[in-house]
Amino acid sequence: MQNFLNSIVKIFTDIAHEFEFVFIEGERYNQMITGFFNTLKITAGALGIGIIIGIVVAAIRSTFDKSGASMKRRGGIGYYILAFLNTICKIYLTVVRGTPVVVQLMISYFIIFVSVKDGVPIGIFAFGINSGAYVAEIFRSGIMSIDNGQFEAGRSLGLNYLQTMIYIIIPQAFKNVLPTLCNEFIALLKETSVAGYVGVMDLTKAGNSIAGRTYSYFMPLLTVAVIYLFIVMVLTTLVGALERRLRNSDH
Amino acid sequence: MITDNVIIKTENLKKSFGDIEVLKGITTDIKNGEVVVIIGASGSGKSTFLRTLNLLEEPTGGKIIFDGNDITDPKTDINLHRRKMGMVFQQFNLFPHMTILKNMTIAPIKLLGLSKADAEKRAIELLDKVGLADRKDAYPSQLSGGQKQRVAIVRALCMQPQVMLFDEPTSALDPEMVGEVLAVIKDLAKSGMTMAVVTHEMGFAKEVADRVFFIDEGVIAEEGTPDEIFNNPKSPRLQSFLSKVLI
Repeated sequence: MQNFLNSIVKIFTDIAHEFEFVFIEGERYNQMITGFFNTLKITAGALGIGIIIGIVVAAIRSTFDKSGASMKRRGGIGYYILAFLNTICKIYLTVVRGTPVVVQLMISYFIIFVSVKDGVPIGIFAFGINSGAYVAEIFRSGIMSIDNGQFEAGRSLGLNYLQTMIYIIIPQAFKNVLPTLCNEFIALLKETSVAGYVGVMDLTKAGNSIAGRTYSYFMPLLTVAVIYLFIVMVLTTLVGALERRLRNSDH
Repeated sequence: MITDNVIIKTENLKKSFGDIEVLKGITTDIKNGEVVVIIGASGSGKSTFLRTLNLLEEPTGGKIIFDGNDITDPKTDINLHRRKMGMVFQQFNLFPHMTILKNMTIAPIKLLGLSKADAEKRAIELLDKVGLADRKDAYPSQLSGGQKQRVAIVRALCMQPQVMLFDEPTSALDPEMVGEVLAVIKDLAKSGMTMAVVTHEMGFAKEVADRVFFIDEGVIAEEGTPDEIFNNPKSPRLQSFLSKVLI
């Protein structure tokens, strides 16, 4: 029994020593903190850009799908502008979804923004553009999933296209896409772990760098994994709470 | 109740879906205060005809004159005219994310500029008439089919339309709920509302219609008073249709 207790104590003292050596010595914990905040910054910024792009692209694509034909019949330049924008959106979706995000990130850093040396804003840009494509398709699937009768009911009352979208379709669509959207946010958070490719000290890079410096892999990499897991759990809880609030109309 | 003022007039109205011509030229008019019931077999074009009247289906040919305006003209703002044409659907189409009261007040508040209080007052008065005032804070999913359809009718009435269009309002209901919805529509007919009703309820058609249209293969094959249509059908197609439906 005594032996058992001793070995438990030893394991914990070893972990404590390891922790001190890996993070406290040389104040290496600072790298983890920087990494943590850079990961959050890139994720939050990319999320914002992704949602804005997603709304715009989904609006153009679903407007074209829903009323393109009738606009064409009624004539006027409006249809051609919409058709042009729709084509641009389709090209954007194809290119962004058809190439790996790491490649997009490196193209942004080494080709498009050669003069910018800070990788964080470039990370926000590249991941934002990338996420926008996925969010757009999520929103569009949400809009298309709402029964056309809802749209007709709104229009038959005299609401115009935009009003029907804003008051009738989007609130219902948003509720339907929330779980998928949460999925996309989680994927985005984890995808930012490749930001190290363009010299950003993100969470993964910080763990890797400490591991390289100390030749100790266990503690830094497990810590990084636990922090990602923690962020994802917080995010899931928040989205879950939002879902429950929105669900109060389906008794 | 029927006046000589024509409220809706169609001229050679046509509608095709791709290569299939569903409406093959309908010329008719509906007078203010008139109750027109539209009957016909499935696929005859009767629902399409009703839905073109407020441009939910855009006609591919011909004209619709509503209240003196050519609403098929691309320059016409259809949203302004749809406010004056209430529509009730087979599938109710209540907004599931809003309470009954919100369902009924959203359009009057956004489009007629009513205050929330005024719009709610109007909505509750109408709900009271159909016996549902106590359900004003419920969500559509908490109502029965018959209750949903009664709400859908008063939701359209909240806009104080000049015409009401009914697209098979009882076809999606359980049999025991058909009566309560038809009663509301009959009351509305008695109050002098101009209505166009697509229905399979022949008894109801006989009772409330001023005029019955029998639509077959995209044209009005026969029209007349309920007595003429149901008791003295002229065309063989109407005779054959009537022999197949229960009256």
